[in-house]
Amino acid sequence: MQVTEEFVLEGKLGSADLSPWLLRHAGKLGLAIALRVQTDERLEMTLSGAPDLLDAMEMGCLLGPYDIWVDSVARIRSGCRNGG
Amino acid sequence: MQTDWTPVALSHDIPVASAAPGRIGDTALAIWRSASGRIAAWSDRCPHRGMRLSHGYVRGERLSCIYHGWSYGEDGGCKRIPAHPDLTPPESIRVPVFACREASGVVWVAEGQPAGAPPDLAGFRGLRSLHIAAATGAIAEVFGGDGPVLRVKLGPVAVIALVQAFGDETMLHLMAPESCDLATLDALSDAAEALRRNIEAEATA
Amino acid sequence: MSVGAMKDQWYPVGLISGVTEEGRDSLLLGEPIRIFLDGGTPAVTGEGERPLPVELRYGHVWTCPGTPTRPLFDIPEADQLGRRLVDVGVCRVRCSPLRAVENFLDIAHFPFVHTDILGSEPHTEVTRYEVGIREDVDEVWATKVQFFQPQAAKSAEGGITTDYMYRVCAPTCSVLYKTSPPMPGEWDVIALFVQPLTETLCDVWPWMALYDDDASMTDLIHFQQLIFVQDRSVLENQLPALLPLDPGMEIPTRADLTSVAYRRWLKRNGFTYGAQLVAA
Repeated sequence: MQVTEEFVLEGKLGSADLSPWLLRHAGKLGLAIALRVQTDERLEMTLSGAPDLLDAMEMGCLLGPYDIWVDSVARIRSGCRNGG
Repeated sequence: MQTDWTPVALSHDIPVASAAPGRIGDTALAIWRSASGRIAAWSDRCPHRGMRLSHGYVRGERLSCIYHGWSYGEDGGCKRIPAHPDLTPPESIRVPVFACREASGVVWVAEGQPAGAPPDLAGFRGLRSLHIAAATGAIAEVFGGDGPVLRVKLGPVAVIALVQAFGDETMLHLMAPESCDLATLDALSDAAEALRRNIEAEATA
Repeated sequence: MSVGAMKDQWYPVGLISGVTEEGRDSLLLGEPIRIFLDGGTPAVTGEGERPLPVELRYGHVWTCPGTPTRPLFDIPEADQLGRRLVDVGVCRVRCSPLRAVENFLDIAHFPFVHTDILGSEPHTEVTRYEVGIREDVDEVWATKVQFFQPQAAKSAEGGITTDYMYRVCAPTCSVLYKTSPPMPGEWDVIALFVQPLTETLCDVWPWMALYDDDASMTDLIHFQQLIFVQDRSVLENQLPALLPLDPGMEIPTRADLTSVAYRRWLKRNGFTYGAQLVAA
């Protein structure tokens, strides 16, 4: 099963390292990723892939590069398709 | 002798369905042989939590990490994550794989795309590998020459020493003539051990 | 590496029963310490014979190389009647003290590292569990953890699904609660007290408070020592040696949630002795 979810990260996110870090980590998990909104306190992105791998992406985001701090990761499922 | 290939182990030290540690340059290797006999050299680090894969176990054509059982197929791609048995791991989770060939009883590894085949050492076979706590210079002095492939005398017997230099440590893979009988091989093995002790004693003197 | 906030935390430095008049030299966060009996009472000194604070709890001598910011954590089960308190002894491990704790929090390795004891294939799945920070005590707690075990404890016969809870109560100390095989309504308590000698070397002092009237003390100690020797073969072979607080070179999954929570807690508190800040 492949699902698409909106991830909303909140915290102290003001680091140039964050978006390349997220792209690389999503790539390692084989997830499709689109970064949409990024401020110093909030980051929104769309991720697609297997549910266990989206969970793994959340684990990665909770730690992230050392110079950021994620208070929370909110996830909203926006799409789902079987197979693939 | 110029070659892109580095000798990392002797074939007989990596039996079927086993894994062992090795090194190329600064990179730690997991050298392993599948149940069908296929040899491979990978980065010695499970991408999950960094456990050495050379401590892992082989089942069939896969190498698994001893820590959480993540298993990897011949292309280095992750095939199974036991904690999440329903997940098909993505192609993107993989262990870096090195070019690896066996020739004359030696396991050869190369970084990048090697040109040509590993050196042909026909007429010789693996004797033993020796880890020596001394810089390669000390070994060159004893053997009277340096380079990665040395043809030297061990007692009365002409042997080949394949040299891996690691700063103040050296790995020697010794090869004996195929014609040697068992008694000669035993004597050579003892001579090699004595050589190692001598070199280490000289180096610390 | 600065010792930072970890200087003001409590650490185990030996068994109360093992302290002698002659004393013993050891290390704590890379600094020399000495543990000895002073007029019959265990005492600890740091460099220049500076006296360090001492607590005697849970079978062990505890000290703090700086100024304690909080009292030594409470394990109320230590005072419950009917429990056997087991001082397991010491196991020296060439690893980061933080890695020793992280491994203790991990259940997914049971079938592979503690094969046929704490886990076995094909029972490898890690089901969802909950992790949070208890803000009043600033501890990491993992609850509703379940795992199938062929022999969960010395007193267990046959396989059972074992319930677990984990808590991290100090940067190098963790306590787990697991279903007690002889008393299914109660929790056995197993603690891992880690003495950080250096950033890559530690003395691990397991301690237990069990409901088990049958096994001999020797058997209980041997069982726990066997488990830890198996863990040591992993702990001494992880790369890098320090615990990464940036997982850029790793792939944590939901099964690693407790590890992730522990690393977040370390990062938030500045507990970085034995940690690596940048992925490499």
